[in-house]
Amino acid sequence: MTDQEKDPVVHSSLSKPLFISSALLLLSLGWALYDEVYGTRPWKGYEARFAKVYSRFLKDTLPQEAASEQKIKASAEYKDLDRRAQAAEDAVKSQVAEIDRKVNLELVPRSLALNEPFQEVRGHVGALTYQIEISKSESGKESMRKEIEELKKEVHTVKLPTADGSTEKLPMDFATMDKALQDWKAEKAKLLQQRVDLMKPATELRAKQMKYLTDRISDVSEATLEGLRNKMATFEAGIRQIHVKDVDLVDRCESCHMGVQEPVTLTKAAMGGEEAFISHPDRELLKVHDPEKFGCTPCHGGNGVALTSVEKAHGYNEHWLWPLHAKENLEAGCQQCHTQEIVTEMAPTLDAGREIFRLRGCMACHRYEGFDRDPDELSGVNQDIRQKTQERAEMMREAGFSADKGDRTRNNDEAQKLYQHANDLKVRASLIDAKIEQDDDRARSLVREIKKVGPSLKEVRMKMHKEWLPEWLKDPHKWRPGTKMPTFRLDEGEIKAIAAFIWQSGVTGDLPHQPAGDPEKGKEAFETRGCMACHSMGEGGEKQGGTFAANLSRVGEKDNYDYLVRWVHNPRQRTLPYCPFEKKDVTAEDYQRAGLPFVFDTEHSKCPNDGHELLVMQMTPMPSLRLTEAEARDIASYLETRKHPDATYANADYLDDPSLKTHGQFLVRFYGCAGCHEISGLEEEQRIGTELTKEGSKPIERLDFALKGHQAEHDGWYTHKGFFEHKLENPAVYDQGKEKAKLDRLKMPNFNLSKPEIDQLATFLLGSVEPSIPSRYFYAPADQRRDIIEGWWVVRKYNCMGCHQVHVGQTTVFMTLPRYQDPDWKDQRPPTLIGEGARVNPQWLMGFLNNPSLTEKPDEMDRDGVRRYLHARMPTFYFSDGEIQKIVRFFAAMSSQASPYIADRLDPLSDQERTMARQLFSSEGAPCLKCHATGDPKHDSHATAPNFLLAKERLKPGWARRWMLDPAMMSPGTAMPSGLFRPEGDKMVFAGPTPASFNGYTKDHAQLLVRYMFQFTPEELTRLRASGAGN
Amino acid sequence: MDFHQLWTIFSTPDNVPIVLLLFVVPFYTWYGMRQAFANDRLIGQLEADPALAKTHHRKVEPWKPGWAKEVHVWPYLLRIEFLAAIIVTVILMVWSITLNAPLEEPANPTLTMNPAKAPWYFLGLQEMLVYFDPWMAGVVFPSLIIIGLMVIPYIDANPLGNGYYTYKQRKFSILTFLFGFIALWVSMIVIGTIIRGPGWMWFWPGVTWDHNRLIFEVNRDLPDLFGIKGMVGKLIFGAIVMGIYFVGAWIGMHKLITRTAFNKKIYTRMSLLQYSIMQVFLILMLLLPVKMLLRLVFRIKYVWITPWFNI
Amino acid sequence: MTKLLITCGAAAALLLVSCGGSKEEAKKEETAAPAAAPAAAVDDANAATVTGKVSFTGAKPTPRTIDMSANPVCARAHTTAQRSEEAIVNDNGTLRYTFVWIKSGLPDKQWPVPATNVSLEQDGCMYKPHVIGVMAGQGIEIKNDDATNHNIHPLPKINQEWNESQPPKGDAKIKSFAREEVLIPVKCNVHPWMRAYIGVVSHPFFAVTGEDGTFTIKGLPPGTYTLEAVHEKYGTKDVQITVGAKESKTADFTMGG
Repeated sequence: MTDQEKDPVVHSSLSKPLFISSALLLLSLGWALYDEVYGTRPWKGYEARFAKVYSRFLKDTLPQEAASEQKIKASAEYKDLDRRAQAAEDAVKSQVAEIDRKVNLELVPRSLALNEPFQEVRGHVGALTYQIEISKSESGKESMRKEIEELKKEVHTVKLPTADGSTEKLPMDFATMDKALQDWKAEKAKLLQQRVDLMKPATELRAKQMKYLTDRISDVSEATLEGLRNKMATFEAGIRQIHVKDVDLVDRCESCHMGVQEPVTLTKAAMGGEEAFISHPDRELLKVHDPEKFGCTPCHGGNGVALTSVEKAHGYNEHWLWPLHAKENLEAGCQQCHTQEIVTEMAPTLDAGREIFRLRGCMACHRYEGFDRDPDELSGVNQDIRQKTQERAEMMREAGFSADKGDRTRNNDEAQKLYQHANDLKVRASLIDAKIEQDDDRARSLVREIKKVGPSLKEVRMKMHKEWLPEWLKDPHKWRPGTKMPTFRLDEGEIKAIAAFIWQSGVTGDLPHQPAGDPEKGKEAFETRGCMACHSMGEGGEKQGGTFAANLSRVGEKDNYDYLVRWVHNPRQRTLPYCPFEKKDVTAEDYQRAGLPFVFDTEHSKCPNDGHELLVMQMTPMPSLRLTEAEARDIASYLETRKHPDATYANADYLDDPSLKTHGQFLVRFYGCAGCHEISGLEEEQRIGTELTKEGSKPIERLDFALKGHQAEHDGWYTHKGFFEHKLENPAVYDQGKEKAKLDRLKMPNFNLSKPEIDQLATFLLGSVEPSIPSRYFYAPADQRRDIIEGWWVVRKYNCMGCHQVHVGQTTVFMTLPRYQDPDWKDQRPPTLIGEGARVNPQWLMGFLNNPSLTEKPDEMDRDGVRRYLHARMPTFYFSDGEIQKIVRFFAAMSSQASPYIADRLDPLSDQERTMARQLFSSEGAPCLKCHATGDPKHDSHATAPNFLLAKERLKPGWARRWMLDPAMMSPGTAMPSGLFRPEGDKMVFAGPTPASFNGYTKDHAQLLVRYMFQFTPEELTRLRASGAGN
Repeated sequence: MDFHQLWTIFSTPDNVPIVLLLFVVPFYTWYGMRQAFANDRLIGQLEADPALAKTHHRKVEPWKPGWAKEVHVWPYLLRIEFLAAIIVTVILMVWSITLNAPLEEPANPTLTMNPAKAPWYFLGLQEMLVYFDPWMAGVVFPSLIIIGLMVIPYIDANPLGNGYYTYKQRKFSILTFLFGFIALWVSMIVIGTIIRGPGWMWFWPGVTWDHNRLIFEVNRDLPDLFGIKGMVGKLIFGAIVMGIYFVGAWIGMHKLITRTAFNKKIYTRMSLLQYSIMQVFLILMLLLPVKMLLRLVFRIKYVWITPWFNI
Repeated sequence: MTKLLITCGAAAALLLVSCGGSKEEAKKEETAAPAAAPAAAVDDANAATVTGKVSFTGAKPTPRTIDMSANPVCARAHTTAQRSEEAIVNDNGTLRYTFVWIKSGLPDKQWPVPATNVSLEQDGCMYKPHVIGVMAGQGIEIKNDDATNHNIHPLPKINQEWNESQPPKGDAKIKSFAREEVLIPVKCNVHPWMRAYIGVVSHPFFAVTGEDGTFTIKGLPPGTYTLEAVHEKYGTKDVQITVGAKESKTADFTMGG
């Protein structure tokens, strides 16, 4: 029968398909195994490569280090130390040897030998004693006691080794054995102590020698490197992971990034160009955030557990909510724990972001927890007051009842109890009174603390040129590049309406007409008084000064001279005070009706109508420089000269058209202008933007990419980062292509942020997340660090850093001004405040902050209390008490001073000491009074340091001494020269020639001068000047 | 034509089984039918030649005389099964290596994904929700399906076709099954997977799933078309319509069931109970495509509105 | 018109100098000696020499007199009223105290730092000389010959700033600057008028114009250089100059305004 007639079921062979499929099976099996071992474990490759490059790196660097170490060892000092150490050791060699011999050859072996029989007997005795304790029968106890006696009496012959190696046999009973052992032990201890004493000098020298070495090796010692090398020699692959138990956080980042925690600095170049292997760039940071405690991902983001691919480990895969922060947003990680700060040390980008958020007015529309502290606190305090008052009322009522009950009750004791209760309640009520009083004060000062980002628009009528308003609204950035005011997308009609409303809602008041000033003088004053710490002047390339406040290059085109004078003279001056309770500006009429004079200032701040706290100052952080009227006029007239000559403005009479007003008001409210500006009728406006406190962890689906969504996904910016960056770069971006009515469009105006600014802000927003770690990890210290956090808010608020260095490594605006590069002007820079807390007496500081002129006489206010020689001047900020407390505490904390401060008592000068100090002061060798002011105008004209009369009140003695010894250490580049004193034994003596009277004076010279300074009196000063010093 | 979109749909690990389904189901249907037809031919042969029937049992065709009447399970069946086992293992291995479990972000109660889809084997049910109210689609029909499957042995009065593929001896049941499974179940799964995008909207394959998409569609209830207001009115109207449908469908079905002589034979073997149960299930099964038609073509939401359920 | 006058003046000045050349040469040697000292250190077989002068254009400034009345000791040190050395124009119309150095073009090599210290004296509350040049790392010996305390306070932009007091007739300080910087102003906080300038250069090719406003830079390897003249008041001027082996070229500057 032919093949095709064969039965296929029976005769068809399956061997071929069977073979193929089995082969496939084997293949897939192989694949599975590979995948298991390598495919899903890329970190193995990393570890292998790391091991290779790192060991090579160590091999290469080791010789260099060794060489440098050899050099040091070859140095004379080191050799000398070595020799002396050697000598010291030799000196005592014999004695030490003797001691060692005695201990090792006699005492130790003998005790060991004796110990055995002794232990035996003692064990036996112990056992019997126990038997006695537990046995019931007296007779039994007796017998056993006897037995013990015998045991103790029994004499053993013990073999003891002697020094010469032979053994001696001694008969000993228990007591003698015991004694012998004790004695030997004591002797051994004694000998060893002797040995230590003998060796002391030698060991000390050796320690010195070691220190000498370590002091001079820059990076890592040879020993460390050796250790590392051994580590790499015995390197074995495996997952490296940090497990933070109490958060159950597992980070395996170090399985690939193996260099991170290495003690040596590993650069990309050193690691064969592999960025993954570099050591952590900021060791300081790691010191405060120990990886073993914090892990990696809480700060950096990413998926700490994932190891299967770089993409997954870095959390860039879809659905992972906490991707690794990009380089430019690295510091976003700080924000999630450092939520309460405006300044976080070591996080400049983040700080800049926060500062933009605060300063550019983001927080005026977007609520952000902790950013509008003052208003929040104010409402909190007010609520507290209400609550407390209620509480008090209840207590008093309760007290009344209790007293009545007491009257009515029969039983005396009962009555006593009730009366007592009533009294207690009264006492507690009185305490509440105290608290309420405190709250009242706080509330009052808080009214003063609340500031607005933009200027008050109530005064436009007095301040502005009408025509300027519409021009400005059209595009603020065109008129004044870099201004805080953002560009709104307004059409012609809207601009008209808004301008009209603003103009018509403005208050009117009488401005004294001011005579013209001298622009030249004004320019000088503007550039030297300190205006430029906040304001910038000049356009484009020649722009100079601070960015904290407006650029004044064109201010002449917009402002009225008379108003400008008033503003410059005292920016806080208001035309009318505002009553938050009535929600209206209080006018002169109101005062008349109440029969009060129309005066309102920090002293007269009660509303004439209802006695509530008034807003008596402009809500601007701009301080008063205590200028004279004349100087104010000069500066104002200078500013008036700052204008584009060719600038023209269209007529704007329509601003007075009442028909525009209502629409204008609607728009102003709609666009949230009142967030930044004080506007009549809109003082109590609410924020119009969304809260951003947790924006960074908002589900991506909730971020409205609108029609951009697909493009974003395609171009790979469908992320929070992408959303923020595009939004900030062009706030209207997500309206593109949408069909929307004008008022439905996105409101957010354009701030024309630069790329770095966008990065900073994005960093801040990306960090604003629902924390992924428990709150106990947050940075919420209760100690002095709390004061620092609090203080920074005030320091930033008033831009102290424009003039002063507040923390190490910070540059002030003054440092950047060309004029202040000149050798003569360098001394004119405002003083550094690093270590201010250690320098000044907090009590004094409070007074100074309150009134920097340190005088009550109004006509003398025009000066700086401490450094009259400075052209720049510490202005009056009208700080509230609360703010002053915060600042003082801040500085105390920054230089870790205990508060409250208790001045340490200085022993009074003896007459002889006084004369000595006096002579030194007036000697040519110590020309203290040449630079330090004396109050004599002629002399002070070239003085460059404060008057000694201030020292007593102002300074802390300890600081004064440290300062005299090495001023350059505290503030490099200071006019105060170093090297005035030199050490002599354990005291400091004056370096220059000292008057004869100093001969035989044994005390510390610096200390003497300090004591002199702190007991300095005006009389003393005149006496000195009479003697010719410092005139 | 957005191929990227298409690719994302097909390449989702979740959807791989459905993609498989697309090819595997037709293939095996065809394969099974092929065998069935072959057998039918044999049956024809046997019926034609009783002598042959005596000597022959194996239901393979073409049958050659001299072939063994029967073959042993071992090795002839087992070796094939073994081969199949190996191939399946290979497929599963490769699959498990190449496609990981589709993990997503931690569930967020305030934020549901869109589209939110059931596991692929439930997508049919989910799709049904579009056409019936939850009570019907979610509870009644699923249980009916199960019960229906359970009763099949009891209402199947056709003794033929046990242990071999055949078409002509079981036309009716095969067609019913194909209709119920492929036409309804599988196609609904496919629709749920490939067609239904964000907002459970209808996106033809290759159309971008746009979250902002808006479509205008008004679904009216049948009573409203006839301007019938009021609970009771609607109730009665709906009941009437459903009644008409039932009667119509019943008659139609009856025609089908008793079309051929063979079917008539089966029909006569059935008790009234069996018959009516079968009818009920068939009619209910038919309800689904009818309703789909009404919804998708005539934009009709419900036909019968009662306080307790809607159809 | 004025321009014409100026140019004429300048021309006349040039004439003057050029005829009285040789005598001036000798004199200049010792005036500029301390500054130019290190130039000798480099002996290159085919070393070139660059000479030149810095002539002054414009109205001759009258240096302001210094008021030392506040410091009797200083006042006593002088019979005549001292004048600021900020801008001194020599009689031959050249500018004194201009620091001239090779700004760029030198081969990149380590030049030996001379062991000799350049001295900067405080005499009669004035720095002497007013401008000095040193090599980076070369010692500056600062002496105080006055009966009063001085403090020396250089204000560099690149180098490290320091400010140390020096007692009357106190022992000399030896200081040095590590990095190239032209010019570093030096002041005394006690006596505000005192001012000196130090040019710190990483090579020995620099000089300070003296009383005849000329300078000489010796031992220069052949090559093309940018020669820069720096004056505390009149800023900087550059010239390109190419010198061959053993060649000596002149490069003149005009400064002022």
